[in-house]
Amino acid sequence: MSSVSHVAAGHVEPAIAFAAGPHGPKPRPAFSPRNIMIYGTLLLVSIYYLLPLYVMIVTSLKGMPEIRLGNVFSPPLEITFQPWVKAWAEACTGLNCEGLSRGFWNSVRITVPSVILSIAIASLNGYALANWKFKGADIFFTILIFGAFIPYQVMLYPIVIILREIGLYGSLSGLVIVHSIFGMPILTLLFRNYFTSLPEELFKAARVDGAGFWGIYFRIMLPMSLPIFVVAIILQVTGIWNDFLFGVVYTKPDVYPMTVQLNNIVNSVQGVKEYNVNMAATLLTGLVPLIVYFVSGKLFVRGIAAGAVKG
Amino acid sequence: MATEASPHAVRGFAIEAASRDAVARRPNQLLRNLNAKIAAIPMILTAVFVFFGGTIWTIVYSFTDSKLLPRLKWVGFDQYERLWEQNRWIISIENILIYGALSLVFSLVIGFVLAALMDQKIRFENTFRTIFLYPFALSFIVTGLVWQWILNPEYGIQSVVRSLGWTSFAFDPLYDQDIVIYGILIAGLWQGTGLVMCLMLAGLRGIDEDIWKAARVDGIPMWKTYLLIIIPMMRPVFITTLVLIASGIVRLYDLVVAQTSGGPGIASEVPAKYVYDKMFLGQNLAQGFAASTMMLLSVLVVLIPWAYLEFGGRRRNV
Amino acid sequence: MASVSVRDVSLNFGSVEVLKKLNLDVEQGEFLVLLGPSGCGKSTLLNCIAGLLDVTAGQIFINGKNVTWEEPKDRGIGMVFQSYALYPQMTVEGNLSFGLKNAGMPRDEIAKRIARAAGILQIEPLLKRKPSALSGGQRQRVAIGRALVRDVDVFLFDEPLSNLDAKLRSELRVEIKRLHQRLNNTMIYVTHDQIEAMTLADRIAVMRGGLIQQLDSPHVIYSKPVNRYVAGFIGSPGMNFIDGAIESGAFKAGDAKIPVERYQAQNGGHAGPATFGIRPEHVAHDEQARSMPFSREVDVEIVEPMGSDTLVWSKLGNQSLSFRTDSERYLKVGDKVLIGFDPARASIFDASSENRL
Repeated sequence: MSSVSHVAAGHVEPAIAFAAGPHGPKPRPAFSPRNIMIYGTLLLVSIYYLLPLYVMIVTSLKGMPEIRLGNVFSPPLEITFQPWVKAWAEACTGLNCEGLSRGFWNSVRITVPSVILSIAIASLNGYALANWKFKGADIFFTILIFGAFIPYQVMLYPIVIILREIGLYGSLSGLVIVHSIFGMPILTLLFRNYFTSLPEELFKAARVDGAGFWGIYFRIMLPMSLPIFVVAIILQVTGIWNDFLFGVVYTKPDVYPMTVQLNNIVNSVQGVKEYNVNMAATLLTGLVPLIVYFVSGKLFVRGIAAGAVKG
Repeated sequence: MATEASPHAVRGFAIEAASRDAVARRPNQLLRNLNAKIAAIPMILTAVFVFFGGTIWTIVYSFTDSKLLPRLKWVGFDQYERLWEQNRWIISIENILIYGALSLVFSLVIGFVLAALMDQKIRFENTFRTIFLYPFALSFIVTGLVWQWILNPEYGIQSVVRSLGWTSFAFDPLYDQDIVIYGILIAGLWQGTGLVMCLMLAGLRGIDEDIWKAARVDGIPMWKTYLLIIIPMMRPVFITTLVLIASGIVRLYDLVVAQTSGGPGIASEVPAKYVYDKMFLGQNLAQGFAASTMMLLSVLVVLIPWAYLEFGGRRRNV
Repeated sequence: MASVSVRDVSLNFGSVEVLKKLNLDVEQGEFLVLLGPSGCGKSTLLNCIAGLLDVTAGQIFINGKNVTWEEPKDRGIGMVFQSYALYPQMTVEGNLSFGLKNAGMPRDEIAKRIARAAGILQIEPLLKRKPSALSGGQRQRVAIGRALVRDVDVFLFDEPLSNLDAKLRSELRVEIKRLHQRLNNTMIYVTHDQIEAMTLADRIAVMRGGLIQQLDSPHVIYSKPVNRYVAGFIGSPGMNFIDGAIESGAFKAGDAKIPVERYQAQNGGHAGPATFGIRPEHVAHDEQARSMPFSREVDVEIVEPMGSDTLVWSKLGNQSLSFRTDSERYLKVGDKVLIGFDPARASIFDASSENRL
């Protein structure tokens, strides 16, 4: 095949004739060894990760006789929602048999104020540290960050004493305060890093315009910080809802959060274990953070990455 | 105003006027710091009284013989001697060491391998990431309970494998003292490796793309590139992740409470559980304080060298 | 036989056509520059030649061999990257030897090649250092060395000087030219900097939107640009463009009438809207202007002293015209200057197609 010559812009005369042979993209079969290895491994590992979720759902939809006959992996032959109803409204936890619903509402009453309080405090803190440096600020902040690393056990009892002194030991409000205290390090770091990353010119322009500490916070910083607030909310809702240690130390049984109640329902029951009710209860407890997770998607990843990166 | 003023009032007035003068000379500076300080009061109070003060308090009281209530009767290192004589404590230390070492190694390896696979420009990346990470959104209680069910000898893994033909297969961590810690490890890894994978993936994505191209032109096979070039380049990420995992290991508590309640017997005891049980169930506060001080020490042993490397080095360069 | 041949190569990213049926032949020992703004496809083309990207259609030949499906390591190429891409944890020596060791080359052969490359690039004292202990210029030399030790025929450069400051850039530019004169390898060089292109290239391929606009020696591209885009891209300060029309053998713009007999048109006569292009350095002033086929007095509007010479802005018709004067020639705003030029040195473009007439 002879070459064609063009003079118009965009084409140049080829000097060699077009030869037969490989052309176009290199053929890469969909089932190459490389692909098989990659996707195969990922699929196998996915099974490991998905198994518990599957088991939870499947077990919670079976009746007890069916459970005794089969194993944890067999799908239900007859789907029943009875375990769910029982877990929610009738399961017994030592003192009463009102089900998990009480723990659920306790958790809600704990989580909502804790999230609001801890984020309010930490965002102001981070804002103060980022833009209004004052003497000693860094020392306190360093202690705060260290506090995030040291085991909570070493601070458990002093807090019991403090709460007893102000009369909040064993109550919901006491637990809210505890969560706000322990949420401070990571959240303050999160907010401080975020506010430092905002352009300083914005802040300076506002100062020149005469705005003060609170004015700048409410009118400039807050409106610009929606993404980081969402990340903080996700972090806190998940962390506080899933907490167990503080729940079991600082509350009395009638205000136990859902996680504590769940553990009591499953592990403290003598006699016949109702596995389906247990799994339904477990699933219910995990539902709220799971929903938060699936809805928030990429923001969740950003949150834990931000929380995990040290300043 | 023709009112007669008393000498006190006059002096008070003068002092007030003078201080107002001082404030008027530099109003912005004082006020500015004041507002920020007010906003930081919670942080200051927490840092000083809870984190710093609370820790010191616990350490001090670990040298007393407090039982049901704190009591300032000095007994020296008594509590610590008794602590290390307790079988339960020794077992919990062993457990946490085994769990810690294996958890660290497996988390890093699994996390990195998964991240490397995810970095291969695969399809369904978001789906896979969602699958690997969702356990992290769950409570340790939920994790412990569901794995307790899966490892149930009658209905769980052991029974399934046996029903497939291997009738002598035995995998009963929940009732076997020697391997119970591995049952907990499986659950802990299930929950935590997703996070490690995310951190590793972020680190991988931060590597200059041209390095890959150069290695390809040089003809280096992919596995060698990962091993000899990429991993050394990711040292900071590995270290950060390591510190993160290490500082969380000693806090292992909820998972054990849910999955095994420390059993069978005391075979899966962990330090955090020992602390709680002594403090709130065993009416032996000082033992709990001593144990928690030991936990603190173990974390500091990891934390302080790392902090020095990270921050001390920089100060020296400046 | 050409050293590198690109045949009808197209590349699509999804639905975006990045390279459109490109054809290119690079001669043995030639220094070819791919020049263009960001997004024109020059780096993409280089990556295709290297084998780092799969082409959607077409073929690539290196030294007569069809390498379209070959891995980069089997194409006989060496590559230098904009960010140097040195392996940070290895010493310079490690960087240079890593690929060779991987290929199973005997140790003394590796040592010989490293010694040769280090000698040419003058990096012997740096061999035991790590990249973080090197300056930008040194790193770039090591990057070139890594390509050198591969003992290949074709070198590919992907904007290697863009990360350096201006002074270092001009120093290394000379080094690269010297290297080419010494080694006489085929070199394909990507840049957006037209000065680099003009000083280094045997031929320049000016690219835009995935197509090669013009492939010629620097001199031809400078004096006879094939369309308005190329004319405006090459040369700094840029060419003057005056819009008007060709009527009865002359170019008319406003009240200016420029005779075009001396202009060498490509396709014979032409009439209609056109753009007249003349470079500032080709516009004479004062005495020299008098002897030009076209001259006129203009008002000085803006004076830009640039040290070596001065750029003066004025108007021809009511369109902007800039010209260069010696820095000794003192002009101020409002002065009247006689300027003139020879249409033989001009470039006239069709107003709609923008191609050279």
